[in-house]
Amino acid sequence: MTEKKLRKASFVKALNGALDLAMDRYPEMFLIGESIGELGGDFGVTRKLWEKYGGERVRDTPLSEAAIIGTCVGSAMVGMRPVAEIMFADFLGECYDQIVNNAAKLHYMFDGQFTAPLVIRTACGAGFGGGPHHSQSVEGWFLNIPGIVIVAPSNPADAKGLLLASIESDDPVLFLEHKALYRSRGEVPTDYYTTPLGKAAIAREGTDVTVVATMRMVPMALEAAESLAEQGISAEVIDLRTIRPYDAETILESVDKTGRAVVANEAPKIGGLGAELSARIHEECFDRLRCPVGRVDALDAPIPFSVPLEEANLPDTNDVREAIQDVMKA
Amino acid sequence: MNTETLTGLYRDMWLIRAFEEGLEAQFELGYVPGMLHTGLGQEATQAALASQLEATDCFFPDHRCHGINALAQQRHAGNGERIMAELFGRATGVCSGKGGSLHSADPTVGNFGDNAVEGSYLVTVLGVALAYKLRSQPRVACAILGDGTVGRGEFHESLNMAAIWDLPVLYACVNNGYAISLPVETGLASGDIVDLARGYGFPCEIVDGNEIIEATEKIATAIEHIRAGKGPYFLEFKTWRWQGVFSGEFRSDEEVKYWKVDHDPILMARDELLRRGCSEDELHAIETSERQRIDEWIAFAVESPSPDVSKATANVYTGWEVASS
Repeated sequence: MTEKKLRKASFVKALNGALDLAMDRYPEMFLIGESIGELGGDFGVTRKLWEKYGGERVRDTPLSEAAIIGTCVGSAMVGMRPVAEIMFADFLGECYDQIVNNAAKLHYMFDGQFTAPLVIRTACGAGFGGGPHHSQSVEGWFLNIPGIVIVAPSNPADAKGLLLASIESDDPVLFLEHKALYRSRGEVPTDYYTTPLGKAAIAREGTDVTVVATMRMVPMALEAAESLAEQGISAEVIDLRTIRPYDAETILESVDKTGRAVVANEAPKIGGLGAELSARIHEECFDRLRCPVGRVDALDAPIPFSVPLEEANLPDTNDVREAIQDVMKA
Repeated sequence: MNTETLTGLYRDMWLIRAFEEGLEAQFELGYVPGMLHTGLGQEATQAALASQLEATDCFFPDHRCHGINALAQQRHAGNGERIMAELFGRATGVCSGKGGSLHSADPTVGNFGDNAVEGSYLVTVLGVALAYKLRSQPRVACAILGDGTVGRGEFHESLNMAAIWDLPVLYACVNNGYAISLPVETGLASGDIVDLARGYGFPCEIVDGNEIIEATEKIATAIEHIRAGKGPYFLEFKTWRWQGVFSGEFRSDEEVKYWKVDHDPILMARDELLRRGCSEDELHAIETSERQRIDEWIAFAVESPSPDVSKATANVYTGWEVASS
């Protein structure tokens, strides 16, 4: 990343800036989604782009998620570079077939004759009373699908760099934007830059325990690590950034060094990213591990509406802190 | 339609029939893996479509479209045998054996491949059409859909979006009477699918899908409309599939006789050609030469190598290698 000029910006503003720079740079790119035009999207990520680039390139659609993603896939097959917004990740069920059976597979099943350079941006995650259908962590729905790339930034600077890298990628990218991070702020370079896909970041260096986290669990893991530093625990926090294909090398090197690991993600415990990372670490670092991998996940239940119930479901900073303390005791 | 054109289409229909019959025989012998859905009985619709689409257009075939795939491959690339080889899972196939019967594609001849969740390409075709429109290319993006897929939600999403955006989409709806075994009148709110399509406000027509002249001329008119930038067009081809279901024939003897004898697209075209003065010998020679061609294609497929097993992980991503063990 070449950092020339930095400006404090929100996660939403960073994404908006990335889309603006890319739309300017790539004439084959267009945006498509529900009320992304004049309204600027439900969360404001596409604000002012309709005014700047016009309705042909910033396309409002009816509530037709399958047609939105189908349009992306078909246009990508003939060299366009579409970026879709699916308002809430929970709606991906409506276009699951297009993503899983079409976008993810067509490069393979037609043996390289087509590519699907499309990006599906979507708002995921809980913590704001969205209820069962506006709060889910969907990475597990797609983790088992070869051919798809899953990107999950945790901060504004990465959000911008990863989105630009996703737009440049010739593979289909599911770009997860955690709603609770939208208003978070950070230093963001103002120029065009990409943050590499498939590469994790070491968000905090440490020597005693490795914490692998995604999206909103990253700031929570950092907070937990800071508070434990006072007790003499040195936690290394890895921000995975790309969930598929994920950066096993960075994780395994860190665990080789620390001998202890905690995996933190917001999705239900069974069958998801936490399970995959935990299994991989056990498989490849067994002789270096001092104790089993610690797990921080949501409960194995849908996300409820009521605030105390939602809080009970979701993992938080305290859960990460406890998980780190548990593996340190072993 | 002049006799020369009709004779060419008659030959194309024989290519399809010989292809499917030859394939069925190989399937019975166990040389063709997987499942087999033939286009027998639907030759006129397929030959008509193949004759009117250019290599620079796009079509999404359905699962019974070996024939149109082979015709496009032969007409535009001169190597129809690569469709046969694909169905045998061979390295010489259009997708190196990775796609098979349900996913044969070659964009250089306009074949964008079937998506075997039939009908899902109804929304994919929108993107190709949108790209053509944004680039001001007078091209046609054609979705070949069966009556069964009209039951899918994508049907509505597609027709609605094509209408509001005036996209250059040709909907070639092949109504062969049954969704697996469910009669179209039972499974849809109307046995005439155009009744469902008309609400979207673009031209919709019923075509005798077994009448090669009518089918070809109606397609030509629709394509002219689309290339002129006038938006989508919906054609419903009434036809009938010879193939039953995996467990066998489920339709009445009377119905089978009507479609396989009285309304066979090849016999209908043959009658017309004889009426126009073509000789029995001339027409017989066409059948013989197409059967001979297909025998050669089958031999090509059988003699072709299987793909190297190292290809099992090739082309999963463009940006990453996937471990091959």
